[in-house]
Amino acid sequence: MSGECNTAAELDTVGPAAEGGQDHVDVVEDKLSVEAITAQATSPTSGAVALFVGTTRNNFDGKSVLRLEYEAYMPMAKKKMLETCELVRSKWEVENIVMIHRIGVVPVQEASIVIAVSSPHRKEALEAVHFAIDHVKATVPVWKKEIYGDESSSWKQNQECKWSGAHPPAS
Amino acid sequence: MDRVKVKLLFFAKSREIVGKKEADFEFASCTTSVSILEKLIEEYPELSVIAENVVLSLNEEYLELDNQELTLQAGDELAIIPPISGG
Repeated sequence: MSGECNTAAELDTVGPAAEGGQDHVDVVEDKLSVEAITAQATSPTSGAVALFVGTTRNNFDGKSVLRLEYEAYMPMAKKKMLETCELVRSKWEVENIVMIHRIGVVPVQEASIVIAVSSPHRKEALEAVHFAIDHVKATVPVWKKEIYGDESSSWKQNQECKWSGAHPPAS
Repeated sequence: MDRVKVKLLFFAKSREIVGKKEADFEFASCTTSVSILEKLIEEYPELSVIAENVVLSLNEEYLELDNQELTLQAGDELAIIPPISGG
């Protein structure tokens, strides 16, 4: 399970929106730097950067979680993340979108995903980042296994995943 | 009927069940997603425990599980996608 925190930092500068911002998506094995990702999303014309940080929880159903292991269908995961960016842009006026998923072993309490969206105004940035994480959870082929204190383990299923209960799918 | 060799990819629980990450497999080139899944379960009967909870992807796009005809090409990449849990 992911814990989460959702914050919006309002910056001083509010200017006209840049002509088309950048989408940056990646799937990496290294520890995520919230600061670096935020910096990458920020632009001089942004009035806000909204940030979602998904972190790994230390318990599930009363069992203690030792660590989490993530794997991805790498090219497809990036493709679906870029599609999420495209959808965000069709709905909100945003500048830069940075979306980084960590895979491999992720110790408890560390970030498994960071999404940062900049926009001239906070409302768009906050709504966009909320939509983006929900859409990622529903469409990006990444899997999480929880390893418990007694060494048992379990593959998790996102509530947003449409085929976790029954067919069919996936758009 | 033409048959083509495609690359199968297994992830997460399906990878653990089958015991490998990938395999080559021959299908009729003219098929449906439902038929592909049936053939996969014939080949890997142990996958039947998760058959109700998987979808397929073809060349990195999700496939709706239905009876619509589709054409496989040699070298296509077909993945078994258990319920996702990223984020």
